[in-house]
Amino acid sequence: MNATLTQRYIDAVVRSLPPASRDDVQAELEVSIADAIEARTATGEAADVSEREVLTNLGDPGILAAGYADRPLHLVGPRFYLTWLRLLRLLWAIIPPVAMCGVALGKALSGAPIGDIFGSVISVGLAVVIHVAFWVTLVFVILERTGSASTIAEWSVDRLPEIRTRGAVRADMIAAIVLLAVGVVVLFWDRFRGLVIIDDRSLPVLNPELWPWWITGLLVLMVAKSALVIAVYFSGRWSAIFATANTALALVFATSAVGLLTVGQLLNPEFITIAFTNNGVNSDTTRILAVILGAGIIGFGVWDIIDGWLKTIRDNRR
Amino acid sequence: MSENELVDTHLQELRRGTIVLACLQLLREAGYGYGLLEELGTLGFDTDANTLYPLLRRLEKQGYLTSEWNTEQARPRKFYRTSAAGIRLAETLTKEWLALTGAITSLTKEEH
Repeated sequence: MNATLTQRYIDAVVRSLPPASRDDVQAELEVSIADAIEARTATGEAADVSEREVLTNLGDPGILAAGYADRPLHLVGPRFYLTWLRLLRLLWAIIPPVAMCGVALGKALSGAPIGDIFGSVISVGLAVVIHVAFWVTLVFVILERTGSASTIAEWSVDRLPEIRTRGAVRADMIAAIVLLAVGVVVLFWDRFRGLVIIDDRSLPVLNPELWPWWITGLLVLMVAKSALVIAVYFSGRWSAIFATANTALALVFATSAVGLLTVGQLLNPEFITIAFTNNGVNSDTTRILAVILGAGIIGFGVWDIIDGWLKTIRDNRR
Repeated sequence: MSENELVDTHLQELRRGTIVLACLQLLREAGYGYGLLEELGTLGFDTDANTLYPLLRRLEKQGYLTSEWNTEQARPRKFYRTSAAGIRLAETLTKEWLALTGAITSLTKEEH
C-alpha cells in the first residue's frame, strides 16, 4: 500500500531532525494533523480534501523542520553577513592578483607563448576568485550554524575608520602592489630571458653578478615599500612614522643603486659593450649616460621622500 | 509592495510576540497542540499551525513550559503546562503590554 500524504509529510519533517527528538515530534505531529483533519471532516468535508487542506496549511515541511530544530533558513545571517562581506572583499583584492602574477611569471620563465600566458592567467584568476568565495562562505555557513555571537568582535566607536585623506587612497595602494608585481616579473625576466634583444641575442640589462644577494635585497625593499603603502591605506592617513620609513627605504635604494653604478657593477658589462661600445659610443659618452641614470635614480628617490612628507603634512593639517 | 501588503507586514510585526504571551496565559491550564490552536483562533489570536507547534517546543526547551504525554484518552496527546518560570515571564510580558497600552493611549489622547 502506498503511504498516505500525512505519512509522507511527517516523514519529510522528522527526517532532518536530531534522532533524540524525532519520535516525539512524529507522535505529536500525527495527533495534531489527525485532530485538524477530524475538525474539518466533522463539518462534512471529504476526508481526502481535508487531508490536503490541512497539510497545505502546514506549509513546506522543510520550514516546519527548521522551526523544530531551531535552524536558520539562510546561509549567512545578519550576525555574520558584514564580516563575511568585508573578509571576502579583502581576500579578493589580494589573492587573485598575486596568483595571477605568479602564474604569469612561471609561464613566462618557462618560455610559454604570450597567448598561453594570457589564457593561463585568466583561467587561474577566475578559478581563484571562485575558490576564495566558496571556502570563505563555507566557513561562515558553518559559523552561522555553530558559532555564538561572541565569535565576532563587537563593534565599538573605536573601530570607526579614519576619514580617507587624499594621501591614503586605495588607488595608491593598488598602484604600489601592481608596480611590485610588474617589478618582480621584470627582474626575473631580465635574469632568465634577458630584457633586450640585440642581433637575435637576448641580454640581461642588470649585472647577472647581482644575483642572488643584491637582487634579494632589492626584492625585500620592494616588498617593504608595498607593505608601507598598504599600512598607510589601512591606517587611513600618512604619519611621521610612515614618512620616516618611506625616507629610509628610498635612501637605501638610491644609495645602493648609485653606489653599484659608480663602481660599474649595476649594469651588465656585456650589455654595455654590445649596445654602446660596439656601436661606436666612446667611454666618455657612456660615462655621461651613467651620470644621467644616476641622477635619475637620485631624483626619483628625492621625489619619493618629499612626496611622503608632503602627504604627511597635508594629512596632519586636517 | 502594495499598500495592503505593507499594512499586513506592520500588523504582523506588531502581533509578533503576543502569541507567546497568549500561550503562557492559556497553558496555566494544561493544553495540547491542536486544541490550543483552536482556542487561540477563537480568542482572536490568528496563528499558523507551523508557527505554533515549533514555538511550543522552543518554550519547553527554554523551561517556560513543561510537557507530559496523556495516554488516558483514545488519542495519546502531548499536554503542555506553563511552568513557574513561564508564569513569571507571563507576568513580566503582561506588565510590559499594559505599560505600552498606556503609552499608546496617551499618544492618541494628545491628538484630540
